[in-house]
Amino acid sequence: MSIDMPAVVLAREEVLPGIVRITMEAGDEFLEEAAPGRFIQVEAPGGIFPVLRRPFTLHRVEDGAFSILFRVKGRGTRKISEVSSGDTLRVLGPLGRGYRLAGGRWLLVGGGLGAAGFPFLAARIESGTALLGASSSDDLPDAGVADTRVATEDGSVGIRGLVTDLLPDVDWHEYSNVALCGPVAMMKAVIKAVPPGIRERIQVSTEARMGCGWGACECCSIPAAAGGYFKCCTAGPVVPAGDIDWSRWEETD
Amino acid sequence: MKKVTWSLWGRKFDSPLMLASGTAGFGLELMKMGMLDGVAAVVSKATTLAPRDGNPPPRIVETGFGILNSVGLANPGVEYVVDEILPMAAGLPVPLLVNVAGEAREEFAAVVERLETSPVPMAYEVNVSCPNVAEGGKAFGASPEVVESVSRLVAGVSSRPFSVKLTPNEGDITESASAAEEGGAGAVTVSNTFLGMKLDWRTGRPALLRKVGGYSSPALLPLTVARVHLVSEAVNIPVLASGGVSGPEDVLELLAAGAAMVQVGTWLMRRPGAGSELMKGILDLISPGAE
Ligand SMILES: Cc1cc2nc3c(=O)[nH]c(=O)nc-3n(C[C@H](O)[C@H](O)[C@H](O)COP(=O)(O)O)c2cc1C
Repeated sequence: MSIDMPAVVLAREEVLPGIVRITMEAGDEFLEEAAPGRFIQVEAPGGIFPVLRRPFTLHRVEDGAFSILFRVKGRGTRKISEVSSGDTLRVLGPLGRGYRLAGGRWLLVGGGLGAAGFPFLAARIESGTALLGASSSDDLPDAGVADTRVATEDGSVGIRGLVTDLLPDVDWHEYSNVALCGPVAMMKAVIKAVPPGIRERIQVSTEARMGCGWGACECCSIPAAAGGYFKCCTAGPVVPAGDIDWSRWEETD
Repeated sequence: MKKVTWSLWGRKFDSPLMLASGTAGFGLELMKMGMLDGVAAVVSKATTLAPRDGNPPPRIVETGFGILNSVGLANPGVEYVVDEILPMAAGLPVPLLVNVAGEAREEFAAVVERLETSPVPMAYEVNVSCPNVAEGGKAFGASPEVVESVSRLVAGVSSRPFSVKLTPNEGDITESASAAEEGGAGAVTVSNTFLGMKLDWRTGRPALLRKVGGYSSPALLPLTVARVHLVSEAVNIPVLASGGVSGPEDVLELLAAGAAMVQVGTWLMRRPGAGSELMKGILDLISPGAE
C-alpha cells in the first residue's frame, strides 16, 4: 500500500554545491513501508508544470522522518529544492522494490549521486564497505558507512581515478552482497571487475526517465536480459545485475 | 438530495470519469493502491494481436507545458491479456473497457474476437490513431472510409458496445466520427495525443529516439472542448472526451460541450487518486453544500 500525502518539510540543506537534501516528516504507514532501495514520487510545488513527478530514492529514514538527496538539474528538481522548513511537498510512496537484505557483509559501490540511497541501506545491514567514485569532492555524498574508500577524477579526495580503480584492493572473500548504483557505463565496468561467485549477487539500483512510478504507463522501461523490457518502477528499481541487458541499456542510456 | 448520475450504453454511473488508455494499465495497480474511488470505468492500455516490446527508451520526455510519449503500444498481446490479465481484472470494483490497436484493418476484429471469449470487458475502445502499417502507415483515422470499415469489422464480431478513439492529427474528425457511427460504433472517443516533437536546437538532436511522439497536457483542454463540441453536433452516439483534464471544472466543461463521459490520462500519472479528488471537486461544484 503506497500513499499520496502532503509531507511537512523539516529541513532543507545544500550539502554540497548544487546538491540538496530535504528531510520530511513521515507517518507510521510510510515508515512501515519504507525499505532501502524503494523510492518516492515528489510533485514539483507551485503550479501544474512540470506535470510529472520526480522520483527520488530514500536517502535516510530515521526518527519519524525521511530524506532525499539530489542534484538540482532542471525545472522540477529546482522547484522542489526551493522549499523551506514548514512547507509541504506532495509525496507518493514508498514505491517499487528495494534491496533484498541478505545477511553477511556488503560492498556498496556508487558513482556520483548513485550513492544517495546508501545511508538508508547501510543502516539496515550488518556491516559493509563503501566504494565511491565522483568527479571531485564537490559531488561526493556521504554513504553512511565508516569504511568508505573514495576515488575522484580530480584527486581532490581519495585516490585519483575511477571507482573501478578501487576494486583491485577489495578482498572479495569478505563480502557476500554487492549493491551497485551509478551511471550505466560505470556499473558495467564494475560488474566486469567483480569475480564470478559474487558477481551473481550484485543488486543494481536502476534509474530511468519515469512517468507514473506505479506500474501503469510503461515509460520507465529498461532492456531485460530475457528480451524486451522491464519496468524500473515496479520490477525494480533494485534488480539483480543479471536481469539487465547491459549492452542494449548502454546504447539507449 | 437527488443523486447525480451519468450514463453510457444504458448503464448508470455515479461518476463521469474514465481512466484513459495507456495511463492506468488494466487498473490493477490502482486497485492495489486503493485509488479507484470516484472512477466510473477503466480503459486498458492498448492490446494488439501479437505481443509488442514497445519502443526503445526514452519513452517519455517533459516539455515546457506537457509531455511527449513514445511507448510504442508495448503490450503482452491478446492471448496473454485474455489468459492472465483479464481474470485478475475481474476483481476490479469498476467496469473495464479494453483498448484495441492493430497494424491492419482485420487485426482489430481479430483482437476483439479473442477478447469476446472473456466475460470481463464491459466494452472496447478501438484506437484508430495508430498507423495503418499494412496500407502505407497513415493513421487508420485519417480516412473516414477506413474508419467505417474498421468499425464494421469490429461490429461484426463484437457482442459488446465499442467506442472508436479518433485521432486529432489526420483527417477531419467530424467526418471520421460519422464514419464510425455509420460502421456501428456505440461511441467515439475524442480524441488522443497530438503529434509532437522536441529537439535540441544546438545539436538538432531529437529528445525521443523515434523523433516524434504523442503530446498530452492539461493545455490540450480547449482543443478537446472544440472537438467534442463539433463531433457531438455531428453524431447521435455518445462522445467520450479525452485530452486536457487537470481539474473538476475541466470535466464539467467537457460535459457541457457535449461529452457523455470524460477520460483522465496525463493527470492520473501525476495524481493516481485523481478519481476521488476530481469527483469531490465536481460534486462540490454542482451541488454546493451537499454531502
Ligand atoms: C504514456 C501514455 C500512453 C498512452 N497510451 C495510449 C494507448 O495505448 N492507446 C490509446 O488509445 N491512447 C493512449 N494514450 C492517450 C491517452 O489515452 C489520452 O487520450 C491522451 O493522453 C490525452 O488525454 P490527457 O490529456 O488526459 O492525457 C496514451 C497517453 C500517454 C500519456
